[in-house]
Order: sequence, then C-alpha cells, then structure tokens
Amino acid sequence: MMDIVTTGLMTHLESKQIGSHFSKGKGGEYYLRVPDNGIVEAAGWLADRKDLALIGIWAVPSHAKDCLELYYAFELKHPSPALVMIAEVKNNQAPSVSKIFPAAINFERRTKDWYGLGFTGLPDTRRLLLHEAYPPDYHPMVDSNPEPLSSNLATTEYSFKEFGGEGLYQIPVGPVHAGIIEPGHFRFSVIGETIFNLELRLGYKHRGLNKLAAGKTIAEVNRLSESISGDESAVNACTFSLAVENIAGIDPPKRAWELRTVLLEMERLYSHLGDLAGMLVDVGYPIGASPFFILREEIMRWNAIFTGSRFLRGAIIPGGLSRDIEDGMLQQFKCFLNTFSRRVRRALSSVDESAWVIDRFETTGIVSPELVAPLSLSGPIARASGYDSDTRQLHTYGIYTGLKYMVPVKTSGDVLARFNVKAEEAISSIGIINETIARCAPGPIFSGFDLKSGQALAILEAPRGRNIHWLRVKNGTVEHWEVITASFCNWLAIEHAVINNILPDFPVINKSFNLSYAGNDL
Amino acid sequence: MRKIIINIFSKKLSSGKYPATEDFELTGLRLKEHVSRVFGRSLAIRELDSGSDNSAEIELNNLSAPHYDIERFGVSFVASPRHADVLLITGAVTRNMQEAVMRTYAAMPHPCWVIAVGDDACGEGLLNGSYGVLGGADKVLPVDFKIPGNPPTPLEIMRGLISFMELLRQSGKH
Repeated sequence: MMDIVTTGLMTHLESKQIGSHFSKGKGGEYYLRVPDNGIVEAAGWLADRKDLALIGIWAVPSHAKDCLELYYAFELKHPSPALVMIAEVKNNQAPSVSKIFPAAINFERRTKDWYGLGFTGLPDTRRLLLHEAYPPDYHPMVDSNPEPLSSNLATTEYSFKEFGGEGLYQIPVGPVHAGIIEPGHFRFSVIGETIFNLELRLGYKHRGLNKLAAGKTIAEVNRLSESISGDESAVNACTFSLAVENIAGIDPPKRAWELRTVLLEMERLYSHLGDLAGMLVDVGYPIGASPFFILREEIMRWNAIFTGSRFLRGAIIPGGLSRDIEDGMLQQFKCFLNTFSRRVRRALSSVDESAWVIDRFETTGIVSPELVAPLSLSGPIARASGYDSDTRQLHTYGIYTGLKYMVPVKTSGDVLARFNVKAEEAISSIGIINETIARCAPGPIFSGFDLKSGQALAILEAPRGRNIHWLRVKNGTVEHWEVITASFCNWLAIEHAVINNILPDFPVINKSFNLSYAGNDL
Repeated sequence: MRKIIINIFSKKLSSGKYPATEDFELTGLRLKEHVSRVFGRSLAIRELDSGSDNSAEIELNNLSAPHYDIERFGVSFVASPRHADVLLITGAVTRNMQEAVMRTYAAMPHPCWVIAVGDDACGEGLLNGSYGVLGGADKVLPVDFKIPGNPPTPLEIMRGLISFMELLRQSGKH
C-alpha cells in the first residue's frame, strides 16, 4: 500500500530508534506521526532524496491533548498525493527545518505569527503577515480579536536587510503602486541600474481568512474560498469542494466533473491570456497585447454566460455543481472555440515575428532549475525552468485521467520560457475544453452527502500552480481550514530572478510570474 | 497582407451573447456627458486596493482594455493620488493597509471624492468580523458613493460612476 518513500522513511526512523505511526487519510494522503525529536531527522532523510518538495507546514490544535500539532506536507508521486508528517509541539517550541528545506522559512514565520510558536534555528524571526499595526505579542489563532486601532499609527519599523557600500542605494516601492495592482512592498538595492538585491514584503492584504472560516458552515467557507484570490475563484472552490468530498467519501457525478473541468480550464485560459497581454504591455508592445486582451474579455463573457459570474463564482460547490450548463450553450461555446484557437495562434505569431520582443524576453529574469525544489516552486514558473510536474498528471483528479493534453516544459527559465509555457498551456486548455464538451453526456450534476467529522487534504493545479487545502470538519461545520496557494512559495523565486537584471525590466519579470498578493496574504 | 485581407472578408463566428454594444456605447456617451459637466471634461481616478481579492482590480483594468476603452469617455486612471479627483477603493480595509490608505487619501488635492467598489469595500462582504479587517472603506475614509457587486462588472462600474456624478450635480457640490 505504501510507497517507497514512506516505507524508507519509517525504516530509517526505526534504525534511529524513533517510533512512527502510519495512517492513511481520506484524501489518499499518508499521515506519519513522529515524536518532536524525529522532525529534523526525518526532514534530513527526505531532503537527501532530491526530488521531494516540502509543500506546506501548518499547525493545528490537537483534539486529544491541549497542545499544538505541526503538519509537514511533502509532495509524493503515485499513488498518494502527499506525505504529511505530524509532530506534537512541546513547550511551544519546535525545531526549524528551514536549513534543510529553504521553503520552510516563510511557512514557519507564518505559523509563528499565527500561534506564537517558537522555531529553534529559524534564521528570519521577523513577522510575516502581521505588520506593525498589530501588538507585538498578538497571535490571532490563540488570542481574541485585537482592539480597534487608535489614530496613533504604528511607531515601530520593519527592519529590512541592510546593504552598504559605495554606489549602492535603495529604492523602496509600494505598498501602493502606480498602476491598478495589489499592494505589496518591494525594496530594491541597486548599483546604477542593475538590481543587486530585492527584498519583498507582503502581507498587506492579510484578511485572516483561516480564522474566519473556523465555526462556519461548509457553504459559507465555500464562498470564502472564492475570495482567496479573485482570478483563482473556480480552482479554490474546487479544491475546497474536493476536500469536503474526500471527508464525506463521495465522488460527484461524472457530468459535474466534466463541467468543472470546463470551468477550471476556462479559468486557466483567461488567466494566461491576461498574463501574455501584460507581459507585452510591459515591454511596450500594446498592439501585440490588444488581441490577448480582447480574447480574454471574450472568455470572461462566456464565464458570465455559464455561471452568472465573470469570475466563475458560485458554480462549484461540494458535491458537484450548483447549476447545470445547457448542452446547446456548450455546443455554441465549442463552435466559438474553433475560431478562438485560430485567433490565439495568430496573436502569438505576431509576437514570434517581433524580434525585439523576443530580445527583451530572452535571458531576462532567469529562475535557475536548481531553485525549483528547494523553494518548492510549482506551476508554469517551475515548468519554464525545466521541472516537469503538473498536479493534473501527478495525482490526477476528476476526469483528467482520461484526457489527452500536453503539459509544456521549457528549460531556459527566463521570461520568454514563461511566456511560451503560458501560451502553450492556454492552447492546451482549449483542447481540453473541446474534448470535454465532446464527451459530455446528460446526467445529474450533484450528489448529496452526509458530512460528519474528519479531515482531508486536497491538491489541485491552479493556473499559478499547486493549490492546497487541508480541512478538518467537526459535526458538519469547519473546524480548521488551511490554504496554501501556489503564490506563497512562488513569490520567493522573484527575489532570485531579478538579480543582475536592470530595474526597468522588473515590471515584465514580475508580470511573467503574475503571482497573487491576495492568495499569498490570505 | 494576404492574411489581413482574408481576415477582413472571412466569415466571423460570434457567440451572439455579448451585451448589446449599442447599450454600452450609450452608457459611455452618458458617462462622457457627465464627466464634461461635472469634472471639466476629464475625470482622474486613483485606484487603491485596500485588501480585496484581486477581482475588482481585474475589472477596473478591463475598463482600459479594447472592449471598453473608458479613456475615450474622459475617464483616466492616474498613477499618483496627487493627480486624482476620485479615490476608487476596492476591498475591505485590512489592518495592515490602514496606514497606507490614510496616507494615500491625505495626498489627494481637495476637493476629492471617495468611491467604494465591490461588496467588501462597501462593508457588505464576507470578511466582517475578522481580526485582519477593519471593515468597509467607510470605517477609515469618508465614502461618498458605493458601487456594490462581487465584483461589479465593467459596465456596472461605468453606470455607478454616472450615478455618482448625477448625485454630485443634484447636491450642487461640484
């Protein structure tokens, strides 16, 4: 039943006289309970197997005892989506695994913010999501809501990394940017025009979604999941629904999954078309960008026709779909897509023919392949750096098993590679939609379920990459909800990608990632 | 060249489901008329995201995309609050953004107006009661007008702007 990694890890821990307890989760994930002194040992062993990525760390209050438990999730290949190590926290202090898995730093900082948990050996102890507006020792998951702030605003200041030397100066940008963009702070250290270092500070949009969800009904949290990140509404609703369905032990009807697939791929399509347009705008090529803006708007109008929302909201619910889509409408859409895919290709060829655009894209903002596993990158960004992994194929869900489609992979890791990966993914999404509509048969779109208590993990491929929800339900209401969007880890890559590029190229590099601030800040 | 000619004469497949273009153009012209009367031919808007999911920003960006191109009706989105007549605020105000929101507003020349866009900014969203959120935009700034929606569509935002200016004309404050 178990895979090689899990059995190997258990044997290794046994040889070190560390006991571990294995159980299988409802979402197919493996849980391995280890004592707190086994965390570092196990993480070290897992890190030696180069292909394993740490995809999340979160804390959950324990049922049985009055303490916290830390969950460490590692991505596995077939048959289980993830290995989740659980360790009990003693004396509010846990060892940090950030030296073994660099991606752990922000997970641990986030957990520290929320629970006040100390991590021994954590190199960066600054707060991540709670800024100066919060009292220094305030931890939302254990304390009640803070007093409303008085008009005296924060007096303390966040300490950015300091760099010194002749000719080196800093440019602070944000949180309020010049365009219509989400808030975030970028601290550039530059020598002339060349970027020497970039430090990000996010968290401005921290809305406290996790805590808000606790005690709410499934329907309420389903709506909440759609506001994690507006342009990933469908995939977040679907990930949440999958987690609920895993707990309830049901599988939605075939037609529900077919229509979900259509909606999920439409979301990927309009997201990617927007990214392509944005990259072209940022190198000053509006004529090339306009066709993509037009194409994207047309998909968004189809979104509204299918679901009543231009962002596909309110359609995907646990158990299936809230409303059916008429077959006649689907056929019309299929017909529309025939010309649509030709128009996408035509718009792309106008870019391919512009040597100067390629010149700006090429060798700009390189994410080297060595960064992918340590920083736990995923989605088009990882695939543009040679990492051939897509959740749709790695641990397939819904009807993706039976579909034929291409997952593009490039190796150069620059803006051009990300442009091409997103362009090819958009075209492959059109193919998936066409194929799905062709096999769509009439049938029920919702299966009822009886939800009691339990917990489950769900991982889906969002337009930006790996999207993880972990859910614990008690008597039909949400007790604990953990969300890790692809943006959370992928943001780390930007700090590396911009080094040695010139400052004027930052917008196009940033746009080629197009990460969600809201999805990161929660 | 051949491609372009073929493109012009080839049969177009249209879904036929777009909102009537005529309706949109009329809305645009009404918007233009109001902008001319109330703001002397140009309305400068500074958009401020105080903690939304990014959907409202996407719709505001769409207003500048080819289908809408709102700039031809006299509405422009400006980079600095110092150039703006209207602060368009999206999303509930998060605790972390409170200071930035107040500073942005303080940087605006007077007279200026604040419009809240989207359910969260209007104080109607799902986020009320969270520790991270202070509430709608009116918890922090004097909001003059609200455009609800989750998020409002580009056309709804345009209609909202028209109603806002009608209100200004009625109150004689402009």
